[in-house]
Amino acid sequence: MPADPARSYKWVTVVCSLVSLLFLIAAAVRENISADWRAHQADFRAILEAKSKDAAGRAAARRLPIEIRQVTVPALHAVDRCVSCHLGIDDPRMADQPNPHRTHPKRLLAIHRVEKFGCTVCHQGQGAALSFQEAKAEDYFWDYPLLPAALTEATCASCHNPRALPAGSADKLVLGMALFEQKGCNACHKLDGKGGPLGPALNNVGLKTKHQFVRANLKGSQTTWNWLAEHFRDPAGIVAGSLMPSPALSQPQVEALTIFMLSLRARDLPAEYLAPDKIDEQYARLHPPAPDGAALFHRYCAACHDTGLYSRWDKKFQRFVPGIRNAAFIRTEDDECLGENIREGRPGTRMPGWGPKAGGLSEAEVAALVAYLRTSAPAMPLPPAPAHGDAHRGGTLFFQECAGCHGVDGKGLIAPALANPVFQRAATDAFIAQTVRLGRENTPMPAFGRAGFSETDIGDLLAFIRGWQPPARSQQP
Amino acid sequence: MTPAKEFLENLKRTPQNLRESMLRNGKAPESDRERSQSTFHNFFLHLQSVRVHRHSLRFGYTFGLGLILTASFVVLTFTGILLMVYYKPGAELAYDSVKDIHFVVPAGRFIRNIHRWAAHLMVLAVFLHMARVFYTGSYKRPREFNWVVGLGLLVFTLGLSFTGYLLPWDQLAYWAITIGANIANSPREVTDAIGITVWFDPGRFQKQLLLGANYVGQEALIRFYVLHVAVLPLALTALMGVHFWRVRKDGGLSRDESLPAPPARIGDADVAVFAPNKTYGLMAVVRGRTPEVDRAPEGTVASWPNLMWAEMAAFLFTIAVTLVLGYFFDAPLKEMANPAIPENPAKAPWYFLGLQELVSYSAFMGGVGIPTIVLVGLGLIPYLDRDPRGVGVWFGGPAGRRTFWQSLAYGLLSVLALLVFTVNFGWLRAWFPAIPQIAIIVVNPATVIVALYAAWSLWVLRRTASIRLSAVALFTCFLAGFIVLTAMGSIFRGPNWHFYWWPSQWPTH
Repeated sequence: MPADPARSYKWVTVVCSLVSLLFLIAAAVRENISADWRAHQADFRAILEAKSKDAAGRAAARRLPIEIRQVTVPALHAVDRCVSCHLGIDDPRMADQPNPHRTHPKRLLAIHRVEKFGCTVCHQGQGAALSFQEAKAEDYFWDYPLLPAALTEATCASCHNPRALPAGSADKLVLGMALFEQKGCNACHKLDGKGGPLGPALNNVGLKTKHQFVRANLKGSQTTWNWLAEHFRDPAGIVAGSLMPSPALSQPQVEALTIFMLSLRARDLPAEYLAPDKIDEQYARLHPPAPDGAALFHRYCAACHDTGLYSRWDKKFQRFVPGIRNAAFIRTEDDECLGENIREGRPGTRMPGWGPKAGGLSEAEVAALVAYLRTSAPAMPLPPAPAHGDAHRGGTLFFQECAGCHGVDGKGLIAPALANPVFQRAATDAFIAQTVRLGRENTPMPAFGRAGFSETDIGDLLAFIRGWQPPARSQQP
Repeated sequence: MTPAKEFLENLKRTPQNLRESMLRNGKAPESDRERSQSTFHNFFLHLQSVRVHRHSLRFGYTFGLGLILTASFVVLTFTGILLMVYYKPGAELAYDSVKDIHFVVPAGRFIRNIHRWAAHLMVLAVFLHMARVFYTGSYKRPREFNWVVGLGLLVFTLGLSFTGYLLPWDQLAYWAITIGANIANSPREVTDAIGITVWFDPGRFQKQLLLGANYVGQEALIRFYVLHVAVLPLALTALMGVHFWRVRKDGGLSRDESLPAPPARIGDADVAVFAPNKTYGLMAVVRGRTPEVDRAPEGTVASWPNLMWAEMAAFLFTIAVTLVLGYFFDAPLKEMANPAIPENPAKAPWYFLGLQELVSYSAFMGGVGIPTIVLVGLGLIPYLDRDPRGVGVWFGGPAGRRTFWQSLAYGLLSVLALLVFTVNFGWLRAWFPAIPQIAIIVVNPATVIVALYAAWSLWVLRRTASIRLSAVALFTCFLAGFIVLTAMGSIFRGPNWHFYWWPSQWPTH
């Protein structure tokens, strides 16, 4: 009998058939029988049976079908299968059971019915998944992984005004909101159109995915909340070259601010999901109460100017930040000049404009800020400035006496920029002359009048400084 | 017999009659006529020739690649139809439906995994199959046209894989197709450079034809879906039919006709010699004498069951491989497509990454120029190389083997050297920022590598005076270039297309 030409192919066929059969059976078992949720439902059935008080209850428990369960909420585009494992989530008898069978804490589901809200609108995570790892979806391809329990308060703000909630509901979120105002975050970060431009705007930070954060230096969990928390602890350690000061926060404060950041999400929710207080909050935003100058100063100015009573050396900016509530300064400036500075800022420096088109403050708010600054000292009638003299001689004086701080080109080194168009526009000759004569108390600006500057010297200086004036503006007397 | 009795009798005999009617002969053949009919009436033997040469059954000659391709296509059709039951081709629905296939459809994840791996296997096998056919000289007369049909199958296979890539509607899909559509748009580079885009814009036309819009959206999704589940599978099936038919009619698999034939197997005996002038039984199946025909069954064995076993082996091998891969490795599914968050870097499917690497220098050359040159060049091979020697022998013999190894070394070294150069020193734009784009379109790594390969091939032609060896040289160089550029694009290019030694070094973003 000669050799069979197909012998090796028969072997390959047999071996591959066996391998195929083996993996088909293995896949069938893995996909259908050994799923976690089946085991959890069987456990739950046993717990239910043990807790039943009569035979009918036990029989009903035994009949509990083992099947995929889901909550479908079309209004929220949610299909949440979490209840396939968390069967006891709205069953008060399960309060003493371990997870996943335990009742939802704080009886919250009594006011947020599972059928109406589902799970992911508050907790995030991948509601469609049927295993815990995939539902949690951290380090997984899912935009919004399950929020850790400590941070879940963040999503309350989607439907509620957190400050209107009863105490104990969203305390950390309320603390975060307060810290945001206290720490003057708005000085650099815009929120709802108001704030400085130095840092990124914070609208909808809570809706960003991890891919929208630079995580090159992020250690540990690659989640948005870990990024935010680490960033609050050490801004420059996460974002290289960040100008943001390290705010010296305690751990609960870091958590509170992280929660507040996560709560910043404009979700387009149907009106029936919004709490009345949320609607009130939205109405209040359209009709703001009379502005409070002190609060505005704290929120938008204090991060750089601090109390504003003295000029402050800023390490990050490498220059003095003027003391704008300094009585000696306020005395020499009139309200119009202060308002102009606030509205326009100082182009070319870190001081942004705060007018309606820039920082988003309304005219009423700018006026309130000016009024607050004015509380330091009344405007003093200034002695008239000397007539403009010899600009060339003034230049020589400037290079000798002023350029060390204000810069040879007048663009400012550690002291304010004099060649700045807004300064040139807002500052009168009388104001400049008076500042040179008397200096500025509590700042490094010396009183040159006492150091031997004559009125002629000041006139020459004025002529030189006004050489930086932008063209096509008429000079004020 | 009463009608009632007859009815009962028929009922009793129904299982046997059913069984007999399923096989057209109905019973074991007894006469010569029945024996021949058992051949002519056999479905399997209608697709295959009755006798198959022993050479065609040798694994080391074909590696079963054509069969693996067919088997992958069958697996893909089967799993694809199952997926179609649950998949919803709408931009709002597609991603969720794929997630549901993953999470709740029984074995849905497994079926999708198998579909994905079979698709990759098919693309890989189509390249290997082409290389096998080329290196064994199997494109030569009378098989020239089947080589061209095979090129059509290559294009359809890539098209099927590419259109399927978009359907999950995740970030991977969205940005890969965005890149692919931009490659379709690449003639724009030339029309821009010579300033005629306003009047003549074929790039925009191609891109809009592909996407139905200027961006990847619902229109693109439904187009890709229709292409993927209807147009391309039908076209591929039709072309496959032509391909198989030509394989049979062009004389089966190619083999070296100059070698002495091994013994044929008739019945249970190996018959050593068949003089061509001897008469023999019809198809070596029927006993008795028949007139002589022009070809003797030397070296052949019966297709049934020998070829059947070979085909079973290839089919089951393919099924086993896809099942094992599908069991252990999930098909990728990233976040839902989001036009606001680009993947970093956005990469096309792996088999286009060599082209994407070239596109990073010149969109036109990488996206249109080189593919056109390669396809036209491949199509012309059987018409330029008419030398009938060397069919059925790997590389056509020792000289070809030598040329293959030399060309492989040359092809690998030249493309590697070029990449090392561009990674370290950049290209024209880096040295002369003001250089007109048309100069870069003409002189870029893609054209340089083609020129280097063409020069090598011409040199081989001059040295050996053999068009076949020159073709081996050119094909091998392009193969080496394809492998290196694909590896470069898939492994060594990171965020915004910079060079990295390994993906783990990419900055997290």
